[in-house]
Amino acid sequence: MPYILNTDKDVKEMLKAVGARTLDDLYSHLPAEIKLRDGVDLAKGLSELDTRRRVSSLAAKNKTLGQYNSFLGAGYYDHYVPSAVNFLISHSNFLTAYTPYQPECSQGILQAIYEYQSYICLLTGMDVSNASMFDGASSAAEAVLMALRISRKSKIVVAGAIHPEYRRVLATYVSGLSFRVVEAPAAANGMIDLKELPGVFDGDTGVCLFQSPNFFGLIEDVEKICALAKANNILTAMAVNPMSLGLLKSPGELGVDIVCGEGQPLGGTLNLGGPGFGFLAAKNDCLRQMPGRIVGKTKDRDGRIAYCLTLAAREQHIRREKATSNICSNQSLNAITAAVYLSVMGKEGFKAAAMNSCANTQYLYKRLKEMRGVALPYGNLFFNEFVWTTENAVNILNRLKEKGIIGGYYLGNDFTNQKNAILSCCTEKKSKEEIDTFVNTLALILHG
Amino acid sequence: MDRKLIFEKQSLCKASNYFGPDAALQDVAAVLPAAVLREELNLPSVGEFDAVRHYSNLANLSFSVDKNFYPLGSCTMKYNPKINEDMAALEGFIGLHPYQNEADLQGAMELMFNLQELLCKITGMSRFTLQPASGAHGEFTGMLMVKKYHDLSGKKKTKVIVPDSAHGTNPATAAMCGYRIVVVPSGADGLVDIDKLRQAVDSETAAIMLTNPNTLGLFEERILEIANIVHAAGGLLYYDGANFNALLGVTTPAAMGFDVVHLNLHKTFATPHGCGGPGAGAVGVGKALYDFLPVPAVNKAGSRYYFDNNLNNTIGKMRAFYGNFGVLVRAYTYLSRLGREGCLRVSQNAVLNANYIKEKLKSVYEVPFDKICMHETVFSCVKQKERGACAMDIAKCLIDHGIHPPTVYFPLIVKEAMMVEPTETESKETLDNFIAVMQTIDKLIDTDPEEVHNAPRTTPISRPDEVLAARSPDIRWKKSGV
Amino acid sequence: MAELKFSKTHEWARIEGAFAFVGISDHAQKELGDIVFVELPRVGEKVKKDGRFGTVESTKAASELYLPLSGEVVSTNSELGKAPQLVNESPLEKGWMIKIKLENSAEAKELMDDAGYNAFVAQEKH
Repeated sequence: MPYILNTDKDVKEMLKAVGARTLDDLYSHLPAEIKLRDGVDLAKGLSELDTRRRVSSLAAKNKTLGQYNSFLGAGYYDHYVPSAVNFLISHSNFLTAYTPYQPECSQGILQAIYEYQSYICLLTGMDVSNASMFDGASSAAEAVLMALRISRKSKIVVAGAIHPEYRRVLATYVSGLSFRVVEAPAAANGMIDLKELPGVFDGDTGVCLFQSPNFFGLIEDVEKICALAKANNILTAMAVNPMSLGLLKSPGELGVDIVCGEGQPLGGTLNLGGPGFGFLAAKNDCLRQMPGRIVGKTKDRDGRIAYCLTLAAREQHIRREKATSNICSNQSLNAITAAVYLSVMGKEGFKAAAMNSCANTQYLYKRLKEMRGVALPYGNLFFNEFVWTTENAVNILNRLKEKGIIGGYYLGNDFTNQKNAILSCCTEKKSKEEIDTFVNTLALILHG
Repeated sequence: MDRKLIFEKQSLCKASNYFGPDAALQDVAAVLPAAVLREELNLPSVGEFDAVRHYSNLANLSFSVDKNFYPLGSCTMKYNPKINEDMAALEGFIGLHPYQNEADLQGAMELMFNLQELLCKITGMSRFTLQPASGAHGEFTGMLMVKKYHDLSGKKKTKVIVPDSAHGTNPATAAMCGYRIVVVPSGADGLVDIDKLRQAVDSETAAIMLTNPNTLGLFEERILEIANIVHAAGGLLYYDGANFNALLGVTTPAAMGFDVVHLNLHKTFATPHGCGGPGAGAVGVGKALYDFLPVPAVNKAGSRYYFDNNLNNTIGKMRAFYGNFGVLVRAYTYLSRLGREGCLRVSQNAVLNANYIKEKLKSVYEVPFDKICMHETVFSCVKQKERGACAMDIAKCLIDHGIHPPTVYFPLIVKEAMMVEPTETESKETLDNFIAVMQTIDKLIDTDPEEVHNAPRTTPISRPDEVLAARSPDIRWKKSGV
Repeated sequence: MAELKFSKTHEWARIEGAFAFVGISDHAQKELGDIVFVELPRVGEKVKKDGRFGTVESTKAASELYLPLSGEVVSTNSELGKAPQLVNESPLEKGWMIKIKLENSAEAKELMDDAGYNAFVAQEKH
């Protein structure tokens, strides 16, 4: 019997000690009608070898991104993760530890999370960060709820160019509450329509949620958006790809109040979209409305540096129905992975990854610009992905796939007015050869 | 001991050429306007080896299940089998982008579908979603479905009932769904007071949220009566699966009358806790809520697996993509190993181990409800407090013996509570050692109270000043002079 | 100095003409332990008697604050932001929380005086 250490002798002794004759006696107080007569309807347990065979065969049925020349991004990115990262976070003292509720025997975990919080603040230009949320989409929803608690208003303005999944998750998160969500439309240039935006605000608007770089890859005029919101007494919540912050100005510098996003690009694998993590950071005066766990630095009785979970009065186990959120377990190990990744990559390595992601994508853009049959509707103010259009986009993507190329994400999945649009992404892993192969293959498909 | 932060290390190392040519294909600064580019990036550059040293040393400062006994109540800190890690690391899983075509993902989807089916069998529910990332996330999912169900019926349902022993996530979740919380007290027997429940339930009751066994480790023996009372008023029953380790293979939430269930895969299903996540909160429903689940559902047509967005009454989406897939792989692998027999053995040994600890320690530590417990038992340290040591002091003493303390000061309805859940994977030797240490600590209260109050002393730090941490929060590194 | 009046939820009010200072009792601060944060309302907010006007937090607990008398908030104790421990050290004086303009001073009749409050606390323990 795998994983059970009790021998028959042990069981006998313990039954005697508790005054039971058989194991069944332990359940004699359960109503008879709810007891399963034959146990659960599962097959017999497999040996470890057969388990390995079964699960491995399921893995073998998949085709991974690496088996293609892929230009797929759209919220999850294929960056290079140094071997040292996985090695470190697989350490059993990180993997099999629990939430650091007892600080004296969890200093390593607490310090690692404190470093993670610090990294997020450094990248985003904010004052405070929590210890992680579930993912980017739910962190954006919690950022909105946080802003509404602070402003005590009930209307939410969301940019149309935000990741479609973020918008859907936000709608679900507020579906039980009496908040209204209103969309700030994108202009013809693919960014928030700054002329229309003030018209969408009103006296009951508590927060404006947007994304930059947005879902179409474009870098928004963040400073202007924040100025417009501030002029109307509205808080700004910005979702951002943290990898872009190795290159782009931080949201903090640009006047954003709350920053959120998906942390997978920082040392995470693709893993069919999870687990990654969400991050949430804000200015100092928002600290007490922040959901999730927070690690703080203090001193112990002997004056040593000590870390512990802090500000717990915001959380569910103390505040219950008045808590800032119901979140308990988060994505701790994935957040620590981000800190480890940034530490291993170092400043120059991380900057290079961001720079090369952008440079490779700009190169792809430049080459597509010369292609007959391809239109580039939005210009090149982007970080690592951009939109291109072509007739029969779905058909083109299928034909590229037959040649071993994943051209990108089909925008027609989410936008009815983008039926011929594809979102293509390069990371630092792409080589010039791979990009040229994509472009040349596309040319052959389009022009014969 | 060097407790320097990574930011405080001095070494400045150039990048290590992890991914290719140093020169970019284009000068980005020439392409993007200066206004969008950042000028400063204050990250450390210690180099790979020093980073490995740093985090390896941090790892050494912490307890973990692999090293230490961790009898935290309702956390189910059981052994994390290593085959699960090998399977979760397979390239055929970790190399999958969530937006690849379904044709590329058939093996992964088959795994998710099979896991859903297994969980249906284990719980008696009709359908599962694997989207939620944690138990609380699962609670939110389940209660949003309850809300939508009632909204569609047109009936006014404004209240959710929780027992006073409920975990804090239950009322917090209900509040996030816009419900008012009604707390029902426990009776002298530690179980839901049925008479008080009857008074609390009315036509506006949307649901009751229960964990069974409850947070005292006691089985709610009148669960079928509770179900009848709530159902008769048109309410639904929500099962918080945090304590399901007690019942695996023995009974199902469906048999007990529950309409919606969440399971903590990182508890009952042995996926590692990872310092506080990632976990996964699989949510199962009966027929009434069948098409309320979040989309996309993972469905099968013939031999083909597909993502189904056509659930008529879906609550929407709880997170991007499909779930914490890496965690799901581990849970599926674990269940493959366990099989029918293995499931029952989990419960039997979990319940036996907890009762054994209760019997052996009840003469020393008061057991407020001295009857058969399930997978966990709650002690009260009031007698110890009278002699000068509270539950926290005893917890800190355990650390000096290499044992992670049990949960203390929860559930709230027991004074100086200590909630002990050994799980089924511990040996009798480990349990006997725990029992002996607890007895030793109790004696120490009289023979050496100073040691008890100063514990722990064998750890990198002594007790931290949590008041200072909360009064003057320092939650991130700042460059000095800033 | 005017006499303190106490409510059943352990807040006190010190009436001075048309205004009143409000805080929590010595018993309350003892029960809470080391106070780490006090959440106070904004100036101008109007709260009814027994309505919630803020929260007081320790590391292990959070308690709502209920207004003993109806009124409008005219000022809050800015010292508590930097030094929440004032509530522990001097709950009846330096640890005052808000000053309100009274809506209906007759409400004070329903509050307890010092002796009455002490008796109330004593019997609450049983």
